[in-house]
Amino acid sequence: MDQSIVFIDLGVGGMTCDGCVVHVTKALEAVPGVANATVDLASRSAVVTANPGVATEALAAAVHATGQYNAFERRRRPASNA
Amino acid sequence: MPDAFDLLILGSGSTAFAAAIGASELGARVAMVERRTLGGTCVNRGCLPSKNLIEAARLVRDAAHPRYDGLVPAQLVVDFPALIGQKDQVVRDYRAKKYNAVADGMSDLQILDGSAAFDSPTSVSLDGRTIAADRFLVATGSRPIVPKIPGLDSVPYLTSDLLDADEAGRLTDLPESLIVLGGGYIAVELAQMFSRLGSRVTIVARSGLLRGYEPELGATLSEVFAAEGIEVLANTRTDGVSGNSQGVAVTVETPTAGRILRAQRLLAATGRRPNTDDLGLDQIGVELDADGYVVVDAELRTKVAHVWAAGDVIGGQHGSQMATPVGARQGRIVAENAFKGARRRVDHEVIPRAIFTDPPIGVVGLTEAEVKAKHFPAVSATTPLKYVPRAGAIHRPEGFVKMIASTIDERILGVHMIGESAAEVIHEAAMAMHFKATIDDFIDLIHVYPTMSEALKIGAQAFRKDVTKLSCCAE
Repeated sequence: MDQSIVFIDLGVGGMTCDGCVVHVTKALEAVPGVANATVDLASRSAVVTANPGVATEALAAAVHATGQYNAFERRRRPASNA
Repeated sequence: MPDAFDLLILGSGSTAFAAAIGASELGARVAMVERRTLGGTCVNRGCLPSKNLIEAARLVRDAAHPRYDGLVPAQLVVDFPALIGQKDQVVRDYRAKKYNAVADGMSDLQILDGSAAFDSPTSVSLDGRTIAADRFLVATGSRPIVPKIPGLDSVPYLTSDLLDADEAGRLTDLPESLIVLGGGYIAVELAQMFSRLGSRVTIVARSGLLRGYEPELGATLSEVFAAEGIEVLANTRTDGVSGNSQGVAVTVETPTAGRILRAQRLLAATGRRPNTDDLGLDQIGVELDADGYVVVDAELRTKVAHVWAAGDVIGGQHGSQMATPVGARQGRIVAENAFKGARRRVDHEVIPRAIFTDPPIGVVGLTEAEVKAKHFPAVSATTPLKYVPRAGAIHRPEGFVKMIASTIDERILGVHMIGESAAEVIHEAAMAMHFKATIDDFIDLIHVYPTMSEALKIGAQAFRKDVTKLSCCAE
């Protein structure tokens, strides 16, 4: 099993309610290689737990594909530093 | 150490605000740094205050010259300090509504006061503090050029900063007389404004008025200025200035003779330069051109991948113009490129522009000289506005519209108008050009009779027939 996991911090735009949080979370978790996503409405951000091969563009594209939201990568942290 | 901002914007004008709003909508945490007054040039010392006072000056002029037989000229009393007071209030109200309140309504925007300069590729130093960010936008705008004229450094002089409501350079007393150095759009707007409010005004211009625009515009404006009593010294070199707070003397060389001009105040309006001198841009590898403008690609990215630049600081690159709405559009594009990976390129093919003289000027697209320089096969038609019914009906026959069309597909390439309502009319031309309209598109569109917009329909018909023989409604 691949032990290599990263946390990817995202900024997320366009969310106005808890329903938005659900939509963005589902979109991120549908990206292959993503283990889970924690999306926060108040701070307009998300933390994605994923394998390191997951590209920023794939996460952004998944969120854009919802048609309402935007996501961009802030930084990646190795899971050991969490 | 607090988290880095996603975007740090240097400047707080229209470009900066558009970028901040756009980036915030996309989820970014944004900081904006301003060293002068929030809002930048347009609201504080540019478009907004000048348009306020120019309209007041027009009321004074129209009262004294009502154009209609049967209306007796009247002399409006100009209380200049009170006029300035209401202008200041307009500026402060507008700034509060369109800038402060907007900023307050954005939860993830911080406004920082002070002078910032890059101290590393990912941080700026702000009055001793270090502020880190992942991405930057240079939107610090421009300021008046100080012309290199012997003696100017020891003589008090005004710039367009005289319009400011809250800074030291503001003007509160009407000069009895004024010498304006420069013949560009700021020079002509302010010269006519002061003249109409009661100053005796002399313009000293190195070439003619409005160099770079369609030449007939400056020529027509020169006639208007002469009729209003504004002296225009064209093709005139300024050799030196002397004087003090009581008055100035300017030594000039006209094409025919040397002269010494005297006036109470001096206004330098010889152009603008970018505010890029002391931002530390060279230290992080952001390239500036010889005039100090930030070099950007068509996506508004500088030579440093996480630093963008937009607004006045990019000057005329990629067909840009130093104008408030141009910067605002660019600010939005930067936000989308920085946080959405949009890779949007600027599109500057159609930028309408107005000069708020009276009569006003509206232009969009190419001039005849630009068309020739590009070797486009094109033809032009110039129509005096006296053939526009409304112009005759309201006794505003002065001016013209000049349209330039491709001879390949008859697309309109440029429209240049001076006359009643030109600053409004030009938007029809701009929208039409945006949709690549041809001569026939202007002719076929039914225009409201009698409006000044009919100038475009008639101006287009001038490519086909003798417009002096049109019937009512320009058919």
